Amino acid sequence: MSRADIIFLLPHLMLTLGAVLVMMAIAVRRNHFAVYVLTCLTLIVALYFLPKTASLPHNVGVLFVVDGLGVFNTMIIMLAALAVALMSYAYFDTREERTGEYYMLFILATFGACIMVISGHFVSFFLGLEILSVSLYGMIAYLRKRERSDEAGIKYLILAAFSSAFLLFGMALIYAATGDMTFEGLSGYFSAFDELPILVMTGVGLVVVGAGFKLSVVPFHMWTPDVYEGAPAPVAAFISTISKGATMVLLVRFFLAIDGFRFPVVLTIFTVISIASMVVGNILALRQQNVKRILAYSSIAHFGYLLVAFIAADELGVEAVNFYLVAYFATMLGAFGVVTVLSHPERDAELLDDYRGLLWSRPALATVFVVTLLSLAGIPLTAGFVAKFYLLASGISTNQWLLVILLVVNSIVGLFYYIRIVAVMFDSAEEREARPAGYVGNFATLLILVVLLVWFGVSPQGLIDVIRNLVGVG
Amino acid sequence: MTLIAFIGILMAGGLLAWIIARWNETLSRWIALTVVLIDLMWSVAILVSRRPDFSGTDWLIRFDYPWIGRFGIGISVAADGLSLVLLILTFFLGAVSVVVSWREIRDRVGFFHFNLLWVLAGIAGVFVVIDLFLFYFFWEVMLIPMYFLIGTWGHENRRYAAVKFFIFTQASGLMMLLSILGLYFIHGINTGTYTFDYFELLTATVGTTAGRWLMLGFLAAFIVKLPVVPFHSWLPDAHSQAPTAGSVILAGLLLKTGAYGILRFVLPLFPDASRELASIAMTLGVAGILYGALLAYGQTDFKRLVAYTSVSHMGFVMLGIFSFNELAFQGVVMQLVAHGLSTGALFVIAGALYERIHTRDLSLMGGFWTGTPFIGFITLVFVMASLGLPGLANFIAEFLILNGAWQASHALTVAGAMGLILAMAYSLRIMRKIFFGPASDMASRMSDLTLREKVVLVPMTLLVIFLGLFPQHVFNASEKTVKDILGVVMRSQADAIQNANENP
Amino acid sequence: MTLYAFYFLSFLAVMGALMVVFSRNPVTSVIFLVMTFFTIACHYMLLNAQFLAAVHVIVYAGAIMVLFLYVIMLLNLNEAVEKQKTLLLKVAAIVTGGLFMIVLSAALRTAETSYIDTSVVGSARNLGKVLLNEYLLPFEAVSLLLLAAMTGAIMLARSRKRIKPAPNVVGMTHEREQTKTVVHEQ
Repeated sequence: MSRADIIFLLPHLMLTLGAVLVMMAIAVRRNHFAVYVLTCLTLIVALYFLPKTASLPHNVGVLFVVDGLGVFNTMIIMLAALAVALMSYAYFDTREERTGEYYMLFILATFGACIMVISGHFVSFFLGLEILSVSLYGMIAYLRKRERSDEAGIKYLILAAFSSAFLLFGMALIYAATGDMTFEGLSGYFSAFDELPILVMTGVGLVVVGAGFKLSVVPFHMWTPDVYEGAPAPVAAFISTISKGATMVLLVRFFLAIDGFRFPVVLTIFTVISIASMVVGNILALRQQNVKRILAYSSIAHFGYLLVAFIAADELGVEAVNFYLVAYFATMLGAFGVVTVLSHPERDAELLDDYRGLLWSRPALATVFVVTLLSLAGIPLTAGFVAKFYLLASGISTNQWLLVILLVVNSIVGLFYYIRIVAVMFDSAEEREARPAGYVGNFATLLILVVLLVWFGVSPQGLIDVIRNLVGVG
Repeated sequence: MTLIAFIGILMAGGLLAWIIARWNETLSRWIALTVVLIDLMWSVAILVSRRPDFSGTDWLIRFDYPWIGRFGIGISVAADGLSLVLLILTFFLGAVSVVVSWREIRDRVGFFHFNLLWVLAGIAGVFVVIDLFLFYFFWEVMLIPMYFLIGTWGHENRRYAAVKFFIFTQASGLMMLLSILGLYFIHGINTGTYTFDYFELLTATVGTTAGRWLMLGFLAAFIVKLPVVPFHSWLPDAHSQAPTAGSVILAGLLLKTGAYGILRFVLPLFPDASRELASIAMTLGVAGILYGALLAYGQTDFKRLVAYTSVSHMGFVMLGIFSFNELAFQGVVMQLVAHGLSTGALFVIAGALYERIHTRDLSLMGGFWTGTPFIGFITLVFVMASLGLPGLANFIAEFLILNGAWQASHALTVAGAMGLILAMAYSLRIMRKIFFGPASDMASRMSDLTLREKVVLVPMTLLVIFLGLFPQHVFNASEKTVKDILGVVMRSQADAIQNANENP
Repeated sequence: MTLYAFYFLSFLAVMGALMVVFSRNPVTSVIFLVMTFFTIACHYMLLNAQFLAAVHVIVYAGAIMVLFLYVIMLLNLNEAVEKQKTLLLKVAAIVTGGLFMIVLSAALRTAETSYIDTSVVGSARNLGKVLLNEYLLPFEAVSLLLLAAMTGAIMLARSRKRIKPAPNVVGMTHEREQTKTVVHEQ
């Protein structure tokens, strides 16, 4: 490790430091606010230490590739984590459970995700994934009084362990065949083939299974609605954004390195997964009455959409993936932010009835929710629209008409359930019980997210420029 | 910049009206009205000042500003005579909508005006943009506020109607987006310039098969909006459930965007595919005329009846557009204006009746003439306009369309003309049911038009009569546009004939 | 000689694994599991990975299995109370498992693996060198993984009753009952 390596890994080191500091702070005295401030500071400091663009890319040994893709997504993940942290304070403050450990796990999970997006080696890939998963077990089951929190935690634990086993086995098979675990080395190995040897193919397949679980794409999606439902709302936001986003970036890096879509079998696998995710996610969402479950299925469908750009895997495709992730992060965080704010100390605001007449009883909050739902549906003036446009553009430019048309058809199906929530909010208001007082952090976060959603929807060029500068393949 | 200002004023006014309404609802109404009137005056002033040189080669007003450079998307707006006429119609009916809602909308006034002005902004945008991405953008912008208008302030079955409207238009709009993207990439790959600019894309060379599919995508959006039978089923629900202002805007303006889209985009971008499809499209148009008229005759709900007459009248538009000659095109433009006025007015009357007797059921009405002759007279004028009485604007429009269509297809023209007879039947039925016949219990509750309603309806009446007597004003404005569009189609036809001759 | 040892150990490992699944008595299962772990440790020895073998025995066969036994005995799980899976699930499991096995055997039968010289890896010395040089960073990151796991485990394992009740506990219980009814209704 040279001095330069340390400088490039400073954001990650800061997160580590933050986790340790939080642990020590808890040991000295339990003070929710102090721990919360410490967490936010950690993230801000880590953001501050992000490497400068001009110095990229930089390889830290064979393990980490600090390039534009990595730095950009590290930034997004940290910003998203900051948003989740801001929401978490209000959420856990109203629930009289111990709160310190949550922030520790939270920072560690963020650390894991940040490791994933810069990893260029199977070891760092797996390690990042495991740190993320293991931290999430605790976070999901954090509210021990909830009836479904244990179920959600156990479900995630078992399935995540299972999928990790697949992932590891896949990596082992690839290693057995190639004798290499760096993406760079693998790229050389893969370029020699026109058709994959069956051993490597099996290995890639198993890696896809493992990653597919984290992405919660069909058919590895079964856990998603239950876990979202059982987990505290901020944690659900974390899973649906950071955990999935990091995995997606990692897949992009891996498949770009091995140029995976040259091989028809890989293309077929992802096409099938994409179609299945879109269709199943949307159709199952139609029948839900629980907002958290709707968001869960919606996130499944959205990753089906995202795979369209992923499959394109050219310059436009990678841009599209990154833009989509930003839009999707902001949207999902906004949606779960509203759920968080509305949640009752004993129960999350997850039934559609919790939202009845919201537009008249709490117009500002409802407006936020409407904007996020419209963004999820991909309606113009929101970031979701530009993002979906990007996907369509990348799909059409690579002539994947089947996927593109299915994407459009599914967007229409998706409209039904997003609009249904909007419609419920428009219902006439009824007498409702007083809600818990608001927290400044929550409202500031939501305000910023909404402004971002509209800003990226109206004037996306700035973000596109940033992405192109950092991520551009060509 | 003027055109951007039109839209910007509306959007800003909408926001302002929403915010102000927290303190003063009346002020919010006045703001909305002022904003729309400013736009109206301004656009009329442009029309009047530019009147002599509609024949020039350039577009009247143009404004370009790069927006999303990555995709070659620009904020490009331009107006020619056709756009300007439709803009004026938009602002006029916009002002009407604000005024008719004065008493009808009592709750959430601010949000109502916000939605109203944003719908208008979206529609105005659709009429002036010349960047295809931006076109889709505004196409959607007018959708969401409309959904809220119907879903929040509509009648008893509003939720269902709003969702149906939204899904229909959104689904078809996405088809158009696909086509736009397809065109964008085909042109980009061919020439190396990736742009959504309308004029640039006009020069795109698209293969025959690709052209057909792309055209169908565009057409899907437009014929759902227009609507053409059998894609009309959202319309009766949306029209009858919307509040008065919503119905006026839906019938008077939203339907026009479909026709405008076909004229502005489908024909010039895909002249070959359009010609191939002409006979089918004209048949669908005639089917719409007859089907709409027949169903209109069978309705008992006043607003639903008027909604079906819209289906019928828009059938004429479809018939005229795909006849490909100047007479028919001019008729179409006139029909857009005339139908906007007459149907808008009928919805205003329906709203006025509903306010008084709280029903839209024709069977509960009757004998209102004696008590309230003024409202009866106004209704008579617009009913006559709707059935195509000479001297009123609709007559000119339908006469020209049929005249033009005759050159294209005799049989279809005859069938379409049958629609006029049916129109007579349903129009007279309206008058008989509401104003004549035995006086119903409701008659006692009727009162004649208030000053506010007169302020709306009298100018509309005068306009319909004025345009019926002096239609040339509209024709002057739209002549250049119509000839240009026709020119493109004719050139493609000539090319096709030449090709056929060269390679027999 | 090595080959025969491999076959013998593999046979034991597979048999042991099967017995873990099939035996009705949890304690027997655990004992067979220990046996499986030992045979796998022996496999490591065959691959010249003595350190891994030792760690495997100490951690898995030693620590974890002892804990397992304790838990099972304390919970007194002697009678199998697990409910039967439905036929559909069984068939689905067999089909999936079978397909997976076919894919794997096809993949492994014709596989050409890259040659790795086992004499330079595996021993404690070599492992230590690699871990503390080339893989120093992940090696340290593992400590974070353990930290996360430990925190999570402690957090989950703490008793629910020890949570300090909130001051307004009366109002809360009332609301909690309401919430429960809502949950049951759906």
